[in-house]
Amino acid sequence: MTALAKLTDRFTEADIDSEIVIMRLDNGEFFSLSGTSAAIWRLIDGGRNRDDLLAALSDQFDGTGGEIGRDLDVFLRELRETGLLAE
Amino acid sequence: MSAHRTDAEATIEREMRVTYGDAPKTLRDEPLAEMSWQMLGDSFLLRGEGHHYFHYRKGEGITVDRGPDADLSEESLWLDGSVYAAVASINGLLPIHASAVAHNGLVFAFTGPAGAGKSTLVAALGKLGLPMFCDDTLVLDLSDPARIVCLPGHKRLKLRPDAVNLTGTTPLEAVSKTVDKVYASPSGGDVSDSLPLGELVFLEEGDQAVIEPIIGAERFVRTEDDHQNAWLFAGARRLDPLAQFAHRARLAQQIRMARFSRPMDPSRFQVGVALAAKYVRNGAQQ
Repeated sequence: MTALAKLTDRFTEADIDSEIVIMRLDNGEFFSLSGTSAAIWRLIDGGRNRDDLLAALSDQFDGTGGEIGRDLDVFLRELRETGLLAE
Repeated sequence: MSAHRTDAEATIEREMRVTYGDAPKTLRDEPLAEMSWQMLGDSFLLRGEGHHYFHYRKGEGITVDRGPDADLSEESLWLDGSVYAAVASINGLLPIHASAVAHNGLVFAFTGPAGAGKSTLVAALGKLGLPMFCDDTLVLDLSDPARIVCLPGHKRLKLRPDAVNLTGTTPLEAVSKTVDKVYASPSGGDVSDSLPLGELVFLEEGDQAVIEPIIGAERFVRTEDDHQNAWLFAGARRLDPLAQFAHRARLAQQIRMARFSRPMDPSRFQVGVALAAKYVRNGAQQ
């Protein structure tokens, strides 16, 4: 399974308390991430793959592996669709 | 008199010096309409009603050009308002639309759209012993990356007649012929030293008086300001989107924020004022 990598030349980001604000550089669109999505975003470091993320999230959050996995897959798909994550 | 003037205080005092004489009538190819302004590089030009121009160029101060039809009662309003904000912006200072009090060496600023009650609240807090820091425009010095400092100045409190009655403030002279406000002396006195910004409180209307912290990404959202002061700053600094994002992120990270919801019903006004005074005296979110 391949490591997940952010397309770092496409956005800028800032931590505000425990949340993250991201701006796409091509169109100025903003996103804010909190809770699980912020945790996933922070875990994506170019070295971890999807299963590594799932294991790390299972340590941090309550819920079954299936529930967390579904949330993870939905969020990763959204990141790819918005052009922030490599295919 | 401030015990120690900061570089930013010295800059704004020097750059706000006023002389009277001929000013350019436009900074661009097209004429400048009444009640509008232009900014070009380090220059700013504002036109009031008729022949009444205010020209600023960095390092040269302000030139006021009065024609026979100029309304002199408006002059100090222009100078203390848009011109002051433009001069601050061109010199790297950030003007925000807020009135503020000081307590324990920190500034507690109240912001909101026109009519939100900024000046009225500051006047009422003055009655409870909290000195005014500024009215309507708060200038922030961002030169220290570690903290945001507020510049003193812009002291004259302006209140609508109903706010004078509501706060029990003693009215002074009328602000101008056209503005339905009077000047008033802040009951709690004022502060003339630069002080760190303690908190920025957004005034909102609600059923009950309550003050709640604003956390996370909402603070970033709250840094988007549609007031003229923000347009002046954006025009002066000419920030590209990346720099604008960094600017807003810094404000969101370093400024504690809260929302103060309260009923606008005058009969419940003092309940909100008491809550705000207690909040400030307790050091807000600290």
